[in-house]
Order: sequence, then C-alpha cells, then structure tokens
Amino acid sequence: MKYPHPSDMVTEYTYVPEDFMKHLITTLAIVMGLVLLLAILFGVPEKAPLTIRQDAREHPVAFEAMTTRDLNGQGRIASYGPPYNHGTGNLESAVQKWVGILHPLNAKQDFILKPLNMAATVNPSFIPALHRFDRASSAQQIAWANRYEAALNHATVQAGRVIVPPGHYGPVQTLMNDMLHLGESGLLSGALIRNPKVVTRFDNQNYVLFLEGQPLHNAAAPLQLKGTQWGIIHSAVPGYPGAWWMTIPTWIYQWPFVANSPANDAIALSLGFVVWCLLAAMPWIPGLNRLPWFLGVYKLVWKDFYRHHASMEDSHEKS
Amino acid sequence: MTVIANWTTASRNMLKDILSLDTWLPETMPEYAQGFMYMLGSLTASSFVVLVISGIVLAANGPASWSYNPADRFVAAIHFWGVQAFFFFMMLHLWRVFFTGAWRGGRRETWLLGSLAFLIAIPTAFTGYLINGDFYSQWNAVQAKDGLNALGLAWVNLPNAGQMFGMHVVVLPLTLGALIFGHIARVRLKGVVPPYPLSSPHSAPKKEVPEP
Repeated sequence: MKYPHPSDMVTEYTYVPEDFMKHLITTLAIVMGLVLLLAILFGVPEKAPLTIRQDAREHPVAFEAMTTRDLNGQGRIASYGPPYNHGTGNLESAVQKWVGILHPLNAKQDFILKPLNMAATVNPSFIPALHRFDRASSAQQIAWANRYEAALNHATVQAGRVIVPPGHYGPVQTLMNDMLHLGESGLLSGALIRNPKVVTRFDNQNYVLFLEGQPLHNAAAPLQLKGTQWGIIHSAVPGYPGAWWMTIPTWIYQWPFVANSPANDAIALSLGFVVWCLLAAMPWIPGLNRLPWFLGVYKLVWKDFYRHHASMEDSHEKS
Repeated sequence: MTVIANWTTASRNMLKDILSLDTWLPETMPEYAQGFMYMLGSLTASSFVVLVISGIVLAANGPASWSYNPADRFVAAIHFWGVQAFFFFMMLHLWRVFFTGAWRGGRRETWLLGSLAFLIAIPTAFTGYLINGDFYSQWNAVQAKDGLNALGLAWVNLPNAGQMFGMHVVVLPLTLGALIFGHIARVRLKGVVPPYPLSSPHSAPKKEVPEP
C-alpha cells in the first residue's frame, strides 16, 4: 500500500454546469421547511424555573438550612471563593485565584441581612433580632448559626412554621423564620437584584446563585440534568433534544479521575479543548492528516467519480 | 523589496477575487462535487441564516417575551429547531470533509476556520439557552460557571442574564458569522478539494507534491 502525500489529489476532472443560486435557495428552503414543521409539531421545550418562593413554600426546613449556611459561611456561595469572595470551597485552580474577585458577593450580607433589613422597614418586628445579631461578634454569630443548622436536622413544620428543639440559637432562629417568610412572600427575588445605580435589572446574578446547592440539585436530579447523569446533553423536557454536540465533554466528565477530582470542571473543559485542538490541527499532524486515506470512506463519497473515470480509461484502452 | 505606493491599488489587488461574481456565483462545479454530500455545508449555512432571521425577530421584541407571547414563542421554536438543524448539518458536513481529507491542496486554513466556527458555535448556542429564562437556563448558568471560573474566565458571568444577552445577540453571532464567512470565502476561492487518487495503475498517488 502506498502512503499518499497529504495533498495528493487527482488532477484530471471536468467542470459541469451548475445553477449555484438554485442550489443555495434549495438548501434554504429545505431548512426553512424542516424547522417550520418541527416548530409547528413540537414547539419549544421550556421547563418552569425553580423560584425562591416555590422552594421556600415546598421545602421550608431545607430552605432555612440553606439560608443558615449563608450565615455561618458554609453555604455553596458563602464558601465558594473567586470570583465572588475569599472562600476556598470551589477553588479549582491557581488561575481562578489569580483572576480574583470580579463579582463580589457576600452571602451573609447580600443574601440574608440586606434583604431582612429592607423587609424590616415594612415589618419592624424583624428589627430586634437583626440588631442583636449585628451587635454580636462574628464567632458568636457563627456559633448560633452552627447550632441552629444542627437543630434543623430535627425540625418539624407546624402551620407553615419551622419548629426546632429548644436551644441556644440567639436571634438566628428568628432571623431564619423571617427569611422563610420573606422567601415565601416572593419579595426576596427583588431584594436580591436591587441596584440603586440603575433602573434596569439586567444583572440577576444574586437571584440565580441564591438557590445554588441542594434546591437546584434536588430539582435537577429527576430531570437527569446533573453532571453525573450526562446532564449537559439532556433537555429539561423529556423527549426533546438537548445540547448533544457536547457529548464528548460530557463523556469526559464521567471519567472516574475527572468525576472524583475537586477540579472536575477545569479538567473536563481543558480535556475537551484538547480534543478540539486535535481536530483543528489535524491537517498539520503527520499521520492523522493521512487518516481519511487509510479509512477509505472517500471511495464511497466519490464512488461515481471513480467509476466514471475507470470506465473512461477502460474505453480509451480498448480504442 | 517592493514598496506599496498606493494603498488603494494594493487593496484592489487583494480584494478583486473575493469581490468577484465568479467567486460567489459560479456557473460550473467540478464533476466530483455533486449530490447530497455537497449540500451539507450549504444546509449548515442556511440554518445559520434561519437563526439570524428568527434571532433578529426575537431580539427586536425584547428578552423574555418568547416565554409568554404566543407569536414570539413560535419564533423561539423556529430558533430552537434552527439550532438543532445547524449542529446536525454541521456535524454531517464535518464528517464529510474529514472522510474526504478536505484540507489537502492548500485548504488547511479552511479546515481551521471551520473548526473555529464549530468551537464558537458551542457558546453561541449555550448563551441562547441561558437567556431562555426557564429551569434549563437556571440550572446551566449555575452549573457551567464553575468550569469557566476555574479556567480564569470568570469575566464571562453566566448567571448575569444581561451579559449573556449581549454575548448571544451580538458578540458571539458576529464572531461566528465572521468565521463562517471566512470559511465559505476560502472554499469559494480555493474550490472544493479534488478526490484522492486511487491506488491503481491508472492513477497511482504522486509522490512529493509540494504543499501550496
């Protein structure tokens, strides 16, 4: 078998008449007809978002546990790290630390205390607990929150209120009950995305990040959207296609050494990028740039061309 | 050393092929570039055209209207299936150009531009999903941010719908459009890659053909 030079090509071929404009209009018509048909038949998949109000009403104990972790610094965002704060909970690489805090977010203040202080202007019963919490030392605040978080493991819900065994929770129990009420009211979302400098609300970062952790994971799991469930390529509405073109990075996420690494996102995306680099650089990589010739699929693609030329050459020889 | 005395003359020389009707509206094609396999690139480009048209309608009506306005929702459905068609035809086109070694004969940069278009198409589609406003947006904004943050790309703030809107409607489609234009322009200027010679006594592979 002869190895072809990467640019080996036939040189003897003819040009045939072509109506290129007709070709372009035909392909456009095919695509337009196809997507119109699919849009009419299937519409667009949309799964209703998980709102803070819905989460507070449906899972009051878990909601209070989540907001308590924002107070004691154990929450997903409270402990995240750059680009939000100085935490280390989701610090995957040196470059992440080097880039720094681009989108400052103090979960205790931005998620809990500022919204409660705003709510206190219309409901002054919130004020005493807020003042007591503010006056306490940071260590005391954390100790109260830690005890309350532990107590929530034994919580019950009675008449819409979260009840925990008696304990030394300081004002945290009251604050968290107030947060639950605020969440249930639907007003918390507005408090999270307030920006006195502009009237627009394009930046909804704090609203989206508020439910990070258990609430979103619990909602995503039944929809097969979690990373370990190949979630990237799944649609939130069963039966519809998802981002199937991300199959390779999604597959990489499943590799045990990636899945079990604390830097799983960085590794999976980096390896996905390496795969793309191999694809993009294929013409320059010796061996790989000859791969199509070895595979031989081109013989099927140009079957008619080869057959036509072979018959022409045969007829030349006979004549 | 040649000194370019007149920038206009130099520009005319550079642009005369790319602005030529012969380049963009050919009346003949090589005999080997026929059939469905050679429609896949045009089908991908046509899908992009459908995406741009439906995207302009959606952008003109403002964000989120597609979730509650029935007419906009239908346009959003066209946009959604347009994305599926774009990737479907692009993937088939990718397989065709791979199996035919389409980078031969000075077409390596054409392949590279196509690969870049594929790469940029991914965040272009993804940012569209992010601004849809449903649970899929919510979940993916929160999940995917960790990877970008870890790679030092935290400036791209996925939970910020305003930034994602700008990325999806202006930055990424313009970048993708430029890459697609460059890719197609090179295809038109260089022509479609000719077939591999078959290893037969009639057309044995030539040995050292210099790369143009």
